[in-house]
Amino acid sequence: MSTFSEKLLKKNRHLNSNGLGMKAEVESSRRPGPSTFAMPVVLAVAAAILGSILPTSYSFILEYAVSLSIYAVATNLLLGFGGLVSFGQGVFYGLGAYTVALNWMHHGLSFWEAFALAPFVGAAASVLMGLVALRTRKLYFALLTLAFSQLAYVIVGVQYNFTSGANGIFGAMVPNWLVSPRNSFFFVLGVTVVSLLVMWKVTSSPFGLVLQASRDNRDRVEALGVNVFRHQLVAMAIAGFFCAVAGTLFVIYSQSTYPDLFLWTSSGIPVFMVVIGGMYKYMGPVIGAVVYEIAHHFLIGYTQDWQIVLGLVLVVIVLLRPDGLAGAFNGLIARRRGRVSLEGSES
Amino acid sequence: MGRIVIETIGGLSAAGSLFVVATGLTLVFGAMRVINLAHGSFYMYGAFLVSTFVGTTTGLRFFWAVALAAIIVSLLGMVVDFTVVRFTVNRDPLTQLLATFGVFLILADLGQHFWGTGFRAVPLASVLTGKVTISGATFPVFDLLITGIAILVGVALWLMLRHSVFGWRVRAAVDDPELLQASGVDLRRLQMGVFALGALLAGLGGAIVAPQTVVAPGIDESIIVAAFLVTVIGGLGSVLGTALGALIIAFAQTVGAVVAPTWASTFTFLAAIIVLAVRPSGLLGVPER
Repeated sequence: MSTFSEKLLKKNRHLNSNGLGMKAEVESSRRPGPSTFAMPVVLAVAAAILGSILPTSYSFILEYAVSLSIYAVATNLLLGFGGLVSFGQGVFYGLGAYTVALNWMHHGLSFWEAFALAPFVGAAASVLMGLVALRTRKLYFALLTLAFSQLAYVIVGVQYNFTSGANGIFGAMVPNWLVSPRNSFFFVLGVTVVSLLVMWKVTSSPFGLVLQASRDNRDRVEALGVNVFRHQLVAMAIAGFFCAVAGTLFVIYSQSTYPDLFLWTSSGIPVFMVVIGGMYKYMGPVIGAVVYEIAHHFLIGYTQDWQIVLGLVLVVIVLLRPDGLAGAFNGLIARRRGRVSLEGSES
Repeated sequence: MGRIVIETIGGLSAAGSLFVVATGLTLVFGAMRVINLAHGSFYMYGAFLVSTFVGTTTGLRFFWAVALAAIIVSLLGMVVDFTVVRFTVNRDPLTQLLATFGVFLILADLGQHFWGTGFRAVPLASVLTGKVTISGATFPVFDLLITGIAILVGVALWLMLRHSVFGWRVRAAVDDPELLQASGVDLRRLQMGVFALGALLAGLGGAIVAPQTVVAPGIDESIIVAAFLVTVIGGLGSVLGTALGALIIAFAQTVGAVVAPTWASTFTFLAAIIVLAVRPSGLLGVPER
């Protein structure tokens, strides 16, 4: 009898300590510790150094990769943190780029005013799309966002007089000092660092935690009195905002826009980066974006069949390593430390 | 009056080809719970294969070319199922979408190797380019043909699902796959059969419309969106819903072409948005949790 009660006590104590442990973990996940801050700082400094010493032909690739990391992280706000599989982020990326380019073509505001306006255009469009798409769940949501991407592509292609259609827009739409490679690199890097910091604050805020909770157990969060729809709508607005920021950086990088940015296959690219990098780590998509762009650039020099490589990598990663490079890396470290990795979905 | 009738038959023919393609998608989803982005690639390969067969000097008749194209695409479907899709059964939607997106990219690239990047024309036999007059109204023969094939496919599928052992098993796989396996049915082989049938329908859809549409790389991207809209409107997994969805989409397209030609292509999306705003799981779909 006594052994039984002892066992029960032990069991309870175990439960208790477990509960405490979990609480401590949640607390620590809300505040970035030194280790979580180290990698972003190292990456930013490394990028800055590389950007100033590399020949401009290479720093150009890096600049594009850096700007794409905003796109990937913003997409992951929905994908990894919200559990919302969006195949329509190209809409906001394209809107960001087209806001700047159309404004230049139709002689509207100055470049900087358009640059500041574009993210809000992206956020507004994202809310409109969210109002429709968020009524549906999971697969339907993915298919509907994919359809929106195609819709935007079709509209931009058809409205030739306003958008110059499939030709896209080319020209000197960027201020002179931004055209210089070094200036443009550091400007893009600066915007990226600020954007990633803001999104980091979003994911670690109470709002971000609710978003993750409703990804894991929507019914329970709703039962607690949270309006999940509204939270997801705000998440979509934020993601749309930053996808548009990335789109404006694309204009700075390429000084052109074209309707393919809206295509659903283009919307698949940031999803792809997220999956390469790992969606359950905040910095995972950044790694994904950099690896993707560098691989893209160098492989295209060797082979015309970039899409085959891309497709094969995608299939292999999705089937074998769904947590991406970041997950593989963490698993490696955990194994070396000789403990079983219990990494959950916390960032 | 005559114009309305002709627009209607044109719309019906558009709905017919959409139905044939989309019903393959919905069958696969119904029996395997897998959503297949590479379905559009199967459609494109159907169209490309027909353009090759019809164009050769041996001069295969159009119908033989269509049948051959559909069968080859179906075999391709089996390969895709064996190498990739079977591993995505029972996985989350993201895995399925991305794995089949990978297949989509590979097939798109391979397609450019085989058929190049230009437009391909599919000539039609003169019998099929004519018009017939039925009780005062004149119809293009080809539109009637596509409408007829779609109705045939619909009826054949209904008969198969209702009255054949294969059909019973497919429906059982939707309702209770475990019990089906327990009663001695090889679920894996059944799923492969369904996937091959889905690919066959996509290939058939691509093959029959090839003479009427532009055959070029990129049609895989646009048809998959149209097919998704149709299935999502009708409710994923429902063949009857797919027929309704195809009619709605084609009707929206026809109305759009008459009312506002430059915005015609947006009408289909508008129709889908309106339907989903009212019924988030589609007309005949079951709500997803």
